[in-house]
Amino acid sequence: MFETKTSKFESLVRAYSTELYRYAHWLCRDRFVAEDLIQETFARAWQGWESLRDDRAARGWLYTILRNEHARLFEKKRPEIDDAQELDDVVDAGSGAVFDQFEMREALEALPRTYREPLLLQVLGGFSCAEIGNMLGTSEGAVMTRLTRARLALRKASGVEARRKAGQR
Amino acid sequence: MNCFEFRRLLLADPRARTPEQEAHLAGCAECASLARGMESFEARLHDAMKIPVPEALADRVLLRHKIRAPAARAWALAASLVAALGVGIYFYRAPGGEDGPAVMAIAHVLEDEPQMLKENRGVDPVAMRAAFTRLGLNVPADGTRVLYFDTCPMMGGASKHVILQAPFGRLTLILAPEQSLGPRAVVAYRDRTALVNPVRSGSYIVVAESRQAVKRLEQLLM
Repeated sequence: MFETKTSKFESLVRAYSTELYRYAHWLCRDRFVAEDLIQETFARAWQGWESLRDDRAARGWLYTILRNEHARLFEKKRPEIDDAQELDDVVDAGSGAVFDQFEMREALEALPRTYREPLLLQVLGGFSCAEIGNMLGTSEGAVMTRLTRARLALRKASGVEARRKAGQR
Repeated sequence: MNCFEFRRLLLADPRARTPEQEAHLAGCAECASLARGMESFEARLHDAMKIPVPEALADRVLLRHKIRAPAARAWALAASLVAALGVGIYFYRAPGGEDGPAVMAIAHVLEDEPQMLKENRGVDPVAMRAAFTRLGLNVPADGTRVLYFDTCPMMGGASKHVILQAPFGRLTLILAPEQSLGPRAVVAYRDRTALVNPVRSGSYIVVAESRQAVKRLEQLLM
């Protein structure tokens, strides 16, 4: 029984530590804190192993543990930004035609966390809007709205929207 | 489905495509063009999110897990023995390969130390002395400078990561109080040598460029 648990745990670590690290890094933006978060996430996963009843749910379970762990450690210091926050500051931050990976990362960092987080869960984690809603404790519709606004902001920052509209004229 | 609804769904989840969206795409050139543009945008977004991951991350997670979990099991075993027999003596030896902690420490040094030195947060001499004393070790004396002292990112908890510049080279010392890293072992890996040594109240690891340097630091610590 213990060996099964150990080998399953090792498989989870090997399968998901990379993507969880990236998610953690985007949450805290510090490589050492991100690695600590990964360590704590898997430590808590091990402690709470009995609560994982379906192996297919392991991935979402780990993301939720990580998110909770990050909140436990840091959320008091970083208040949640509400949905109504204006994105104008973000969308004006783009530098025009040349928009490389570095600038995309900067634009992502500039996104309010409320918008960045569901985007990370969708693009990095591959979760559906409904799954993200469950993880964030909000509705599927609210997640869709946040994702739409996040992408619009990033497209405007990258000049994609401006070029598209210019092409229409 | 109209263009507005199509675009709202496209921006919310570009991967999902309902039959209604497909039907709209077939009859709307402008939305089809937008959908094609979204594919390259999503690829760029995905690439931007894929930040570099530290080497051997999974190995480090598993190493720390092996250090933590057996210790907890051993304490539980000891407690049950004490309860059942009134005997408080037990022997514990870390499972897994004896080279594991040494190899992980070398990988950690090679991968993470350059960045750790860049982010140097200053050395607290009192905390440093306390960390050495806790393991019954001497702080290396004259001629050795401390370049870095903080919690070890690999071991976490109460562990300390110390980078020293000695006359005989740069060395790393990882202090792990109350942790068993297995029996004494000296391991050469890549271009480094590591010593893992259990002491009375924990363990420490030395990583250096040569076996001689490891030995010299060990002499300074004792």
